[in-house]
Amino acid sequence: MSLVPEIDYGTPVSRAEETVSLTIDGHVVAVPAGTSIMRAAVEAGIQVPKLCATDSVEAFGSCRLCLVEIAGRAGTPASCTTPVAAGMVVSTQTERLKQVRRGVMELYISDHPLDCLTCAANGDCELQDMAGAVGLREVRYGYDGESHTRQAKDESNPYFTFDPSKCIVCSRCVRACEEVQGTFALTIEGRGFDSKVSPGAAADNFLSSECVSCGACVQACPTATLSEKSVIDIGLPEHSVVTTCAYCGVGCSFKAEMRGEELVRMVPYKDGKANRGHSCVKGRFAWGYANHRERILKPMMRESIDQPWREVSWDEAIGRVASEFKRLQEKHGRLAIGGITSSRCTNEETYLVQKLVRGGFGNNNVDTCARVCHSPTGFGLRTAFGTSAGTQDFDSVEQSDVILVIGANPTDAHPVFASRMKKRLRQGARLIVIDPRRIDLVRMPHVEADYHLPLRPGTNAAILNALAHVIVTEGLVDEAFVRSFCDRDAFEYWAAFVAEERNSPEAVGLMAGVSPEAIRGAARLYAAGPNSAIYYGLGVTEHSQGTTAVMAIANLAMVTGNLGRLGVGVNPLRGQNNVQGSCDMGSFPHELSGYRHISDDATRAMFEEMWGRPLDAEPGLRIPNMFDAAIEGSFKGLYVQGEDILQSDPNTTHVAAALKAMECVVVQDLFLNETANYAHVFLPGSTFLEKDGTFTNAERRINRVRRVMTPKNGMADWEITLAISKAMGFEMPYAHPSEIMDEIARLTPSFAGVSYALLDEVGSVQWPCNEKAPLGTPIMHIGGFARGKGNFMITEYVPTDEKVGPRFPLLLTTGRILSQYNVGAQTRRTENGAWHAEDVLEIHPHDAEQRGVRDGDWVRLDSRAGATTLRAKITDRVAPGVVYTTFHHPDTQANVVTTDFSDWATNCPEYKVTAVQVAPSNGPSEWQREYTEQARHSRRIAVAAAE
Amino acid sequence: MSIRICIPLDSAAVALGADDVAAALAREAAKRKVAVSIVRTGSHGMHWLEPLIEVGGVGFGPVTAADVPSLFDAAFKNHPLNIGRIADHPFMKAQTRLTFARCGNVDPTSFHEYQAAGGLNGIGAAIMVGPAQTRDTVLTSGLRGRGGAGFPTGIKWKTVAEAKGDTKYIVCNADEGDSGTYADRMLLEGDPFVLIEGMIIAGLAVGAAKGYVYIRSEYPDAIRTFSKAVAVAESSGLLGAAAGFEIDVRAGAGAYVCGEETSMLESLEGKRGQVRAKPPLPAHKGLFGRPTVINNLVSLATVPAILADGAEAYAALGMGRSRGTMPIQLAGNVKQGGLFETAFGLTLGEIVDEIGGGTASGRPVRAVQVGGPLGAYFPRSLFDTAFDYEAFAALDGLVGHGGVVVFDDTVDMARQARFALEFCALESCGKCTPCRIGSIRGAETMDKIIRGERVAANLALITDLCQTLKFGSLCALGGLTPYPVMSALKYFPEDFDRPRLVAAAD
Amino acid sequence: MSGQTPRLVMMANQIAQFFVPQRRGDPVAEIADHLEKFWDPRMKADIVAHLRAGGAGLDPVVREAVGRLKEAQRVATA
Repeated sequence: MSLVPEIDYGTPVSRAEETVSLTIDGHVVAVPAGTSIMRAAVEAGIQVPKLCATDSVEAFGSCRLCLVEIAGRAGTPASCTTPVAAGMVVSTQTERLKQVRRGVMELYISDHPLDCLTCAANGDCELQDMAGAVGLREVRYGYDGESHTRQAKDESNPYFTFDPSKCIVCSRCVRACEEVQGTFALTIEGRGFDSKVSPGAAADNFLSSECVSCGACVQACPTATLSEKSVIDIGLPEHSVVTTCAYCGVGCSFKAEMRGEELVRMVPYKDGKANRGHSCVKGRFAWGYANHRERILKPMMRESIDQPWREVSWDEAIGRVASEFKRLQEKHGRLAIGGITSSRCTNEETYLVQKLVRGGFGNNNVDTCARVCHSPTGFGLRTAFGTSAGTQDFDSVEQSDVILVIGANPTDAHPVFASRMKKRLRQGARLIVIDPRRIDLVRMPHVEADYHLPLRPGTNAAILNALAHVIVTEGLVDEAFVRSFCDRDAFEYWAAFVAEERNSPEAVGLMAGVSPEAIRGAARLYAAGPNSAIYYGLGVTEHSQGTTAVMAIANLAMVTGNLGRLGVGVNPLRGQNNVQGSCDMGSFPHELSGYRHISDDATRAMFEEMWGRPLDAEPGLRIPNMFDAAIEGSFKGLYVQGEDILQSDPNTTHVAAALKAMECVVVQDLFLNETANYAHVFLPGSTFLEKDGTFTNAERRINRVRRVMTPKNGMADWEITLAISKAMGFEMPYAHPSEIMDEIARLTPSFAGVSYALLDEVGSVQWPCNEKAPLGTPIMHIGGFARGKGNFMITEYVPTDEKVGPRFPLLLTTGRILSQYNVGAQTRRTENGAWHAEDVLEIHPHDAEQRGVRDGDWVRLDSRAGATTLRAKITDRVAPGVVYTTFHHPDTQANVVTTDFSDWATNCPEYKVTAVQVAPSNGPSEWQREYTEQARHSRRIAVAAAE
Repeated sequence: MSIRICIPLDSAAVALGADDVAAALAREAAKRKVAVSIVRTGSHGMHWLEPLIEVGGVGFGPVTAADVPSLFDAAFKNHPLNIGRIADHPFMKAQTRLTFARCGNVDPTSFHEYQAAGGLNGIGAAIMVGPAQTRDTVLTSGLRGRGGAGFPTGIKWKTVAEAKGDTKYIVCNADEGDSGTYADRMLLEGDPFVLIEGMIIAGLAVGAAKGYVYIRSEYPDAIRTFSKAVAVAESSGLLGAAAGFEIDVRAGAGAYVCGEETSMLESLEGKRGQVRAKPPLPAHKGLFGRPTVINNLVSLATVPAILADGAEAYAALGMGRSRGTMPIQLAGNVKQGGLFETAFGLTLGEIVDEIGGGTASGRPVRAVQVGGPLGAYFPRSLFDTAFDYEAFAALDGLVGHGGVVVFDDTVDMARQARFALEFCALESCGKCTPCRIGSIRGAETMDKIIRGERVAANLALITDLCQTLKFGSLCALGGLTPYPVMSALKYFPEDFDRPRLVAAAD
Repeated sequence: MSGQTPRLVMMANQIAQFFVPQRRGDPVAEIADHLEKFWDPRMKADIVAHLRAGGAGLDPVVREAVGRLKEAQRVATA
C-alpha cells in the first residue's frame, strides 16, 4: 500500500483544440495551445522547480524558481506564466538558471525556521523538496536579519493551523480561496517584506473571518503554514485510498489518507469528476464522528421503549429482529411490516434492504428519505422527459451563460458545486435567483444576481408559470426545438394555458410578492441564453405543489430548447450523498430498480426468477402512509437503516405517536439517534470508511466507496441486512458488494454496463451505462427525450391549504447551513459546532420589532402542529412575514412545528411552508421538556452484569 | 492697456514662492493703479531662475515678493533680475522643444490659447489620414516609450489595434516616481491639453473610446489642473461620450511600483498594486482584461507634434535607434537644474557640465545617476557616453524617464548602493521572492560591508544577489536594482572597502 | 371509516386538482390510475369503503375515480 500518486502539472489544463509542438530539454512535446511551458514540461516528464504554481489555480509567477531559457529570447521567463509556442526550444537547466534558482532558495531559507525535523510537513513540504532540487547548501545571509520566523500561530480554526512563521508568501492559499472556492476570505496584507497572508481584516483570525473552512488553502499550501491539526497530532499518512464523501449529493472524491487503520486526513481527489479536487468543511474535515465516543458498537435490545438498552450479541439481536417480524406478520398479516432504506448508505446496501422487504417480507412497504426530499423530482421529470434524474453533469455549468437557481442554496447545501458555479458566474454568466431568502448567491464577492425574485413561500409554481407566460406571449419560444422534440398537442394546450392572463407576471406578481418587471426581465434573460441552466433544490420539491413545480421547470427548459447539450438542462441538487442512488435502486414502494413499476408483470417476473421469491404486484406504503397505518394499527414493525425519521420527518408529534404504536422498531445507525428512542432493537451501523460500495450523486454519477478500515461495529451495513434476511429465511448469496452490483446490473437496463471493474478502471460513470453508452451518459436527452417526445403538463397553481391567519401570521420556511448536515447526527459530533452550535430563527427586523424580539432572544415558534423554542437572529435576508430556520439540532426539532401537508403526487412533505407565530419565550416548549426527559430515559444503557 | 504678466503655477515655481510673487504683483499694481493682467502659466523649466516671470517675452528671475516694487519701478525693463528674452536664453535656445513647445507660454487651461498655439493640429492630421496611417506615422517617427523601457510606441499601438475585442482602453502612465524627474508633472500643470490630444489620437488609432490617466497622488496640483483641463475639453466638445472619447483621472495609491504598468492596471481595477506576470501582455489583456495601450505621459504628449509635423520631421532628430527628442531633467547637486528637451545624442558630459553648469556646490562632479533611482551611476570617465537608449544599455545603464541626478565628490557610493536596495525594499510590492526578500537581505549585507564585516565574502554575496535580482525578478523594480548597486561597486570600488571606522570610545 | 380516512380524502382531492385542469385525457382515468399505482392496498380499501359509506368530502371526479378502482370492482362483485 502506498499513497495514491497525483501529479501537479503546475498550471491548469488548456482546453484549446489546436496542438502546439515544441522542444524542451531535447524532448519534442505536443500540447494544446495555451499550455504553459511548465505544464508541457511535466507532460514530457520534466519537473521544473516551482513553489508558487499548482495546477488548481492560474499561474502567478511570483516564486521565480521555474525560470527557463528560450532559444532566441532574452532573459529568463517563468515557465508557469509563459505559454508554449510552435517550434520553441526551451532549456530548463542552465548554469544561469541554476545560479538564479539557488539564489532564490537561499533567500527563502534566510526567512524560514530551520526546524524541518520537528515540522509537521517534514517529508511533505515543497520548500524542502525545492531546497534539495536546486542544491542549496548554505545560507550566506545568516539568520540575524529581519525575519518572520517568530510569529504567533493562529489555531482558531478547529481543523487546521496557520503558522505565519513558515509562510513563503506564495499566495497559493489566497488564490485558492479566490479561484477555487470563491470566498475571497484571504488576502495579502502589507507590501514588500511585510507582505503576509491575512484572513480578512487585521483583527480577524481564521475562525472569525469570512473563511468557510473548505480546506482549499490547506490543500494549496506548499509548506507547513496551513496544516491539518490531525497531521500535526498523528504524523504524515503512509497510504491512501480513493473513496467518495458521505455527505451531500455532490459526491466528492477524496483520498482517505491513512496511517495503518487510522485516518489521518481526507484530501480532495483531483481526478474526482464531481469535485475536480475541491472540498467543503464537511467532507474535508468533519469525519471525526466515526470515532466519536457516542458511537454505538454493540447490538442492543429491549422489550419496551421505557426500558434501558441491553447489549447483546449479533446473533441474539438478529434473531430477535427475525422472530419479531415473523410474529408480527403472522399476527397482523403480511403487510404489517416494512423497511426504510438509507440514502446515506451505498447503492448495494439500499438495494439489499428493498430486496429484503420485497423478497423476504413479501410486500412492497419500502421507502426512502427521498420521499421527504426529491420524490417530486422523480415523478415530475419522469413525466416530462422520461427519466427520473437531472439531465447534466456538473462540468456542464462551465458552459452556461444564464443560471437560474430556484429553491436551492448551493453555497450552504452543495458547497463544492456552488464553487464551480460561482467560478462560472465570475467569468460572466448571468444569474437569476428565485428564493424567499436573500441567499448568499444573490450577492457575494464578484457574484451578483441579475434578478432576485423573493417570492412568498409556496408560490413557486405560480412564478414558474408566469415566466412561461412571458416566454410564450413575447415570442421567445424555441420553435425548432419544440417542433422536433416535443409532443405538439401537449405543447399547444400548455401554451394556451400559460398565456392566460391569470398566469401573467402582473397577476402572479401581486400574489407572490414579486415585481412583474423582475419576472419579465428574468424570463427574457433565461430565454435569451443561449445556454440557460436551471438548478433547483428542496425549495421546489417540498411543497404541496412540489411535483407541479418540477414539471413547470421542465416545461421552461423545453420551451426554450435548453436541453440536450452542455451548459443547459434541469438539474436537481440532491440532498444526501446517495439519494439519487437509493431511488435508482428501487427504494420506492411502487417501483423496482431503474424506475420500473411493480405492477409490470414482465419486470416482476425477471426479479422473481433471480430472487426465487414471488413479488407482490401492489404498491406498498410510503413513509407518511406507514405512520398513518401504524397509528391506525395495521403497521407494526419497521426496519430503519441509517435514517432518523423522528427528527427529519414533519410533524414530530405525529411521527412519535406512530413509532410508539409499533411493536418492533429496528434502528440501524451509528448513534442512538432520535428515532432510536422509540426502537426495540438497535443494530450498530458502519461508516462509509468501513465498507465497499457505490454512491450515486446528483449528476447520476456512480462513484466507488472503498473500505479503508475494519468496521468498528464488526459488520458493514450490507452484512447486517444479509444476516437479517438469512434469519428471516431469505438467504442472499453475496460475498462482496461487487456481487450485489453485478446483480443490479443484470436486472437494471440503465445499470447494465456497471461493474466494479469498470469503476476501478475509469473512476466513475453516469447512468445510463449500458451497451448504448458503455462509459455512461454525462448529458441526457441529446437528440430526443428518453420517453420519446417531451411532455408539457399543465401546471395549474393550486395554493396550499396552509395559510397564514390571525393565530399564525408568519410563514416559516426551513433549510440547511454549510457546516451542518441534515439531522446533524454526524456533523454535531465533529468540531463543526464551532460555526453553528444551534438552530436559530431568522426573522425580519420589522416582525421582530412588532413582537418585542431582540437579536439573540429566546423565542417560541408555534404552529398548529406544535411548538419549539430557539434563539432569534434578526436579519433582512428574510422578507417581512417570513421566518427561517434549520433542522440540524434535536434540541430544537424544527419539525415539531412543520405540518403533515404534502405534495399531491408523492406525499413529499410541505416543509417549506408552515404558518407560525413567534413570541418571546423564557423556556423550552412543553414538547421540548417532555422529549428531553423521554430521550434521556430512553437512551439509558444497562451496565452488563458481572460475569 | 494693461500689462500681461505671466507667472508659473508650476509646483516647482510655487515651492520657490511664485504664489507670493503673484500676490505681491497684484497688490503692488493695485497700489500703483497700474492695469495688469496676471496670467498663471506652466514653467519654462529653468528651475534655478524660478519664480521666473515674463513680461512681453522678457524674463525676470528668480523673483521674490520683495523684488516686486523695484520691478514696477523699472517698468519691467532694466532690472538686475532681467534675463533678457526667455526664448533667447542659452538654456532655451539650445533646446528642441516639441513636446514642451507650449509649456510656460500658455495659460494651461485655456482651450483658446492651446488652439492659438498650434493645438489640435495633431488630431486634425490623424482624422484626415485615418487610424492605420496614424499608427504608421507613429511607427515611422521612431517614437519609443518615454517611461524608460523604450519600446516602440507604434508597435504597441498596432498590437492593440489588431487585438480582438469590442472594448479597448488607453492608459496614460503619469505615476512619475523616479527621483529627479518632473517632466510629466510640468506638462500636466503647464500644457494638459497636449496629453488629452495625444490620448484622443491614440484612441482613434487603436479603436479605444476610453482613457485613464493615472497620476501619482503626490501631485495634487497636477491632478487639479489636469482635471480642470478635462472638464474644459468636455465642455468644448473635444472629450466626452458624444465626442467618442472619454478620460477618467485617477489618483495613484502612493506606491512607486504602481508606475510599473501591470501594477498600475491592478491599481486602476481597484486592487492591490501588485505586478502581473507577462504574458499576457497588456496590449492583449490589459485593463479589466481588455486590450490596452499603456503609454507614458511624455510619449502620448509627443504624439500630437508627430502627427502635426509628420513622422519624418521627428525621425530626423536623434541618433541611432533613439529618434526624436527627450526631455532631460537635471536635478541633484547641479548649478542649472531644469528640464531640457533635446534630440538624443548629447554626451553625458555636455549635459552635466555645459547645460547643467556643473555642481551647485562648486565641488567636482563625482557621479551622475541617470534614469531614476534604479539607473546606473556614471563616473566622469564615462562622460563621453551619448544620451541614447542603446549606448546606455551597453553600459548596464538606462535612459529611463530622462532624469539626471548629479553628485559631487562628497558622495559615499557604498551608501548610495545601500540606498538602492533600501529603496527596492521600501517600494517592493512583495509579489516575487527576489525583490521581496532579496532587497532587504541586500540592504542588510550592505550594512555589513559598510561596517567592514567579511567584506570580500559579502561583496561576493551582493554580486550573486544582484544576479538573482536581475534575472529572477518579476518586474523592473527588482530587475533594475542591481544597476545602481553594481555600477557603484564597479566604478567606485574604493568606497566599499574602507577601513573599519574606529569607534568613538577607542 | 378509519382514522386516516380524512387524510386520504384530502390526498385524493389534491390529486384531482392536478389532473382536472389537464386539457386532454380523461381526468377520472388519470386519477384512478394514480391511486392504483401509488396507493397501498389498505389505503385503496379504506377510500373505497369510504365511498361506499357515502364518500363524504370526495370531489365528484374523485368519487368516480375511486369507483373505478380494482378494489371497488372487487368489493362490488364480492
